[in-house]
Amino acid sequence: MNRVVVMDLSRHNTVLVGHDRYFVFESNGHLQLVRDRCPHRGGPLSLARLTADGRRLTCPWHGTRVATAALRRTSLPMVRSGDEAIVVLPDVPPDAQVTMVRRRILANLPPADAACHPEDPRSEQGSRNGRAAGHDD
Amino acid sequence: MGVADDVVTTAGSDLSAHTIPEQDIVRNDLSHRVNSYTQSSLFSGESNVLHRPNPYRRMLVPEAVAEVDFTTPLNAAELTGPRSLVAHRVLGTLYESETVLLPEQGLTELRADFDVFYGAELRRIRESCLSDLEEFAFSFLTDEVDISGRWSVDALDAYFQHAVTEAEQGESAALVAIAGAKEPTVAADTYLIQLALDGLTEASAMSRNLGGAYGPEQSALFKIFIDEFGYGVYEAKHTTIFTKMIRSRAMQTHVHAYWNFYLAGPMATNNYYYYLSRDHSKFFRYAGAVTYAEAVFAPGFVKMIKTYRDIFGDDVDLHYCEEHAHIDQHHGRITREQVLLALAERHGDGVVPELMRGIAEARLLGRWFEDDTAAQIRWADSIAQHRELGEAAMSGGAASAGGATGAGGGSRRVELSLGHPFGTRNHAEAVVLTMEDGEAELVAAATGEPERLARGDAVLVPAGRVYGIRAGSRECAYRLHRTAPEQ
Repeated sequence: MNRVVVMDLSRHNTVLVGHDRYFVFESNGHLQLVRDRCPHRGGPLSLARLTADGRRLTCPWHGTRVATAALRRTSLPMVRSGDEAIVVLPDVPPDAQVTMVRRRILANLPPADAACHPEDPRSEQGSRNGRAAGHDD
Repeated sequence: MGVADDVVTTAGSDLSAHTIPEQDIVRNDLSHRVNSYTQSSLFSGESNVLHRPNPYRRMLVPEAVAEVDFTTPLNAAELTGPRSLVAHRVLGTLYESETVLLPEQGLTELRADFDVFYGAELRRIRESCLSDLEEFAFSFLTDEVDISGRWSVDALDAYFQHAVTEAEQGESAALVAIAGAKEPTVAADTYLIQLALDGLTEASAMSRNLGGAYGPEQSALFKIFIDEFGYGVYEAKHTTIFTKMIRSRAMQTHVHAYWNFYLAGPMATNNYYYYLSRDHSKFFRYAGAVTYAEAVFAPGFVKMIKTYRDIFGDDVDLHYCEEHAHIDQHHGRITREQVLLALAERHGDGVVPELMRGIAEARLLGRWFEDDTAAQIRWADSIAQHRELGEAAMSGGAASAGGATGAGGGSRRVELSLGHPFGTRNHAEAVVLTMEDGEAELVAAATGEPERLARGDAVLVPAGRVYGIRAGSRECAYRLHRTAPEQ
């Protein structure tokens, strides 16, 4: 059954649903709640880094490159307004525990070779919501 | 502080002779077009605090319009600010000039105003600026509400039910402010006035989505519409029972007696439904928004009945609220099952994000309606306290004589003569108003007593709060000072 949770994006960027984990991914200026699981062997995509062209994430486990467009297609239904995000979690067992936490999200950092170019719109300073990267950990 | 850098005299201005060259309408920017519209003699105001029974005349405060920068759209943070107030007053007038307004007393005395209001000249300007003004007023919603993820009909319903439950269980900020007011009757009237904006022309926006051919969902929406219109019986029409309610408070019932007291938040909410229903590419957003509105009306009116009974006992006619508390339970069910979910099922998951957006935007605007009204109630209910704050700011140097309060760089001195056109406005930041000459009345609420101001008096006006000044002596003058940021 569906379950609705409300996130305060100024405090949380990760949702734990039972054994599944989702993180707030910033892409093209929009925030999306995507599954933190590489399709290859389940590596944590939240710790992946963007490739230089910003179009893929490199999984930290085996270096699998996952297209951000494909990742976005797996995102959960979410309505964001300001720092509030209302998320609909589909097919959640009634007894499943849902927890919201804040973690460091490397996937929201600019590509490694862009970080030294602050004028690059993908750089950290140009980020629409730097909090999505969890910098204040 | 004695030098008037920027003098505005609202009395004696003759705008009636203004004519607008056609080429100006076509070629100039939005600011010019809006200013051209508001220069019509219909919109320059009269000395009355309340508007007379003439739906064509409404004070658009042309000098406030002239100060607005229309080159950058509104953002969410300034929804209760002066740019928003000005824009939504104009936008509401543009929308209503696409509906039929006729005075109850007959048109005989007002035929000339009718001809100007609906005439070719204003229509040309209206058509030239309506889309751009909508963009100015509402484009921020695209950023303010972000819909993401893979939506299904089930997820849509889960979100909708969450939003409605939240509204049912939450408090109304405005009703809380009324209950806590020192003058609850004035506060309650202020809330009624905000409801009058829609209540006196109810379902006009909805009527624009009744045409065309879109299957059973069209018939479902029509069921709601005929309830709103009393099944063709004028006495049962919701606008009629709304007037009974405000008449029981000894308030004026004509469109729009309380125009000067409509706030930006409520006007934005009302305009939003016109905005969505004028452009049928936004139909699914409209369907989401109206479903949310119908679902939260019933519990909202239940709360309102309790608050108003606590204040007035049986001395107020709440048939309108009772009607909505009852019929909107049905409307909430009909719109959810037969409009919202039916549209999603018929037209597929592709339309679900638009339905979602409508729900989310209506929810957001509903909050702004409440918060703006609550803030105005608190301000109008605490003028004595704001006098102290104003005097403290002036004596402590927190107010700046050189601070800008509108266009131009200097402080603002405003000179008024007895009988000048009365209008209300607000400011983007808190200002201290000091009386420099003569006497005046500060009007922050449509009912209740205005605050008398004499030479030397000071009042702090919080950012966004709406007020008007009426000359209390043959001539008077006041000055507006920007306050220090911590004010």
